[in-house]
Amino acid sequence: MLSAMRRGSSLPAYGFLAFPLAALFLFTLAPTIAGLGLSLFAWDGGGVPRFVGLSNFEDLWADAAFRPALRNTLLFVALSVPPTVVIGFLLAVAVNASWFAGKTIARAAFFLPTILSIVAIGFVWRWLLDPEAGLVNWALRGVGLEQPPDWLNDGWWPMASIVLVSVWRGVGFCMVLYLASLGSISRSLYEAAEVDGAGPWSVVRHVTWPQVAPTTAFLLITGVIGALQVFDIVFVMTGQVESDRTNVLNLYVYRQFTYGQLGYAAAIGVVIFTITILATLAQLAWYALRGKGV
Amino acid sequence: MDASARRRRPPLPVVLLVHALVYAGVAVMAVPLLWMVATSLKTEAEAGASPTFSTLLPNAPQWVNYARAFESARLERYYVNSTLAAVLTTVLGVAHNALAGYAFAKLRFRGRRVLLGVALATMMVPVQVYFIFAYLLCTRLGYVDSVQALVVPFLASGFGIFYMRQAILAVPDSLLEAGRLDGMSEFEVFWHIVRPTVWPAMCALGIFTFVFSWNNFFWPLIVVDSERSKTLPLALADLSAGLYVDSWPVQMAAATIMVGPMVAVYLVLQRAFVQGVALTGMKE
Repeated sequence: MLSAMRRGSSLPAYGFLAFPLAALFLFTLAPTIAGLGLSLFAWDGGGVPRFVGLSNFEDLWADAAFRPALRNTLLFVALSVPPTVVIGFLLAVAVNASWFAGKTIARAAFFLPTILSIVAIGFVWRWLLDPEAGLVNWALRGVGLEQPPDWLNDGWWPMASIVLVSVWRGVGFCMVLYLASLGSISRSLYEAAEVDGAGPWSVVRHVTWPQVAPTTAFLLITGVIGALQVFDIVFVMTGQVESDRTNVLNLYVYRQFTYGQLGYAAAIGVVIFTITILATLAQLAWYALRGKGV
Repeated sequence: MDASARRRRPPLPVVLLVHALVYAGVAVMAVPLLWMVATSLKTEAEAGASPTFSTLLPNAPQWVNYARAFESARLERYYVNSTLAAVLTTVLGVAHNALAGYAFAKLRFRGRRVLLGVALATMMVPVQVYFIFAYLLCTRLGYVDSVQALVVPFLASGFGIFYMRQAILAVPDSLLEAGRLDGMSEFEVFWHIVRPTVWPAMCALGIFTFVFSWNNFFWPLIVVDSERSKTLPLALADLSAGLYVDSWPVQMAAATIMVGPMVAVYLVLQRAFVQGVALTGMKE
């Protein structure tokens, strides 16, 4: 590699990079910088943007619809990400056992929603959750529940539905990533645990779980980033009704954008970005500290 | 090894319980799609009534629902739009990311570290921060409502560049040196030596890109304005809002037509999809 680098100029490299980096600059990097700046302006897309300082953020704080959107987004992150990761882990451990029959079928089934569009998933689930004709309430009535909830309309059930469907969609992805990292755990660790007389559950808890910690960290960090940007599933399942119980930040950005409140929309984008960075740094710091402690 | 595996096997009731739980989960994954197909073949009355054991499956399959689905919405049009956007994004996107990945992995140039850092940093930025000006740029370029708007912004990505760079780093330098000694240009080295060697990684990134583009929703929602330019997810959202047709069975028939082919391809190429979508996500 060094000898290749010593020869020649930078020119060929710039040839390789020109188009990819131009695209990345024009459609992501420059719009990001401009978008961050726009949060300090009032602009409807026409004419000259008017500088307003931090007043978009002050308005946000006073906006009666913003706080519920923020709360719901954080609620969604907290309720959907950890169960998805933990269930994905347990599934991976179960189907990875030497005595499990049908690993390929199980993996195919759980992974299926990962390749489906979230819009399609939300659509089908709305039908499943229909209070009268839906399959879910039919099953609930079948097991003796007289008054099953009206999932997409009653109180907090819409948010619960969104969380459940997100977990349903996400477990397969986590499972597949855990399966990949389970394969690389050294056999001798299990043998040592057996010599110590550990039971199966104790082996999972004290040998397997710590060994897949890097995968868990990766899934939690990327899961939180993704969940903070939740949009599709809410838009399809409950987006037609503006409700303080299901409104999320990204949906709010989209609405402000369609109203032509571009500066205000950008300010909400900055809030999402800031929370994303803080959440990621907090998790990285936590892992770093814990790594030192052990 | 066999003996130790047998020793580790938990008692039979546990084994059975684990199988029961996992396969109950498999059923929970499969039932929504099966229910969609079952509903698509029912009559209006069958679908609308509270389900009973005898009405879980359609009494007589109503294939006419599929004909009505094609009449109610221009499904074939959305197919063409989605396919065109996804294929172009996949082919051009993998090519651009591989070119940049090669430069970052194997070429020496000024500003390498900074440019790579900047490219990677773009991965962190949520689309909500940059979509406004990306949209305005597309407006200026006349891309709105055309396939360019769905392709050009995704020609390169921080993630794609990083993924290809990692794959190309593993190509031995001696191979590249041999090509250069034979008088190959840098592009010939890339095309005749690097590309064939990292082809599996390019395919994995390709599947990842295709699925991403095919299912992308937020960005098309912003840049697509008209009925004739809609992609499948946009049409599905409109269908879901009852824009085209009021009947649940016909809506479900339309949804089946929209997701069916992707599911079929997935079931055939399952291993490649799992590797492309999930293992690409590992970034390793």
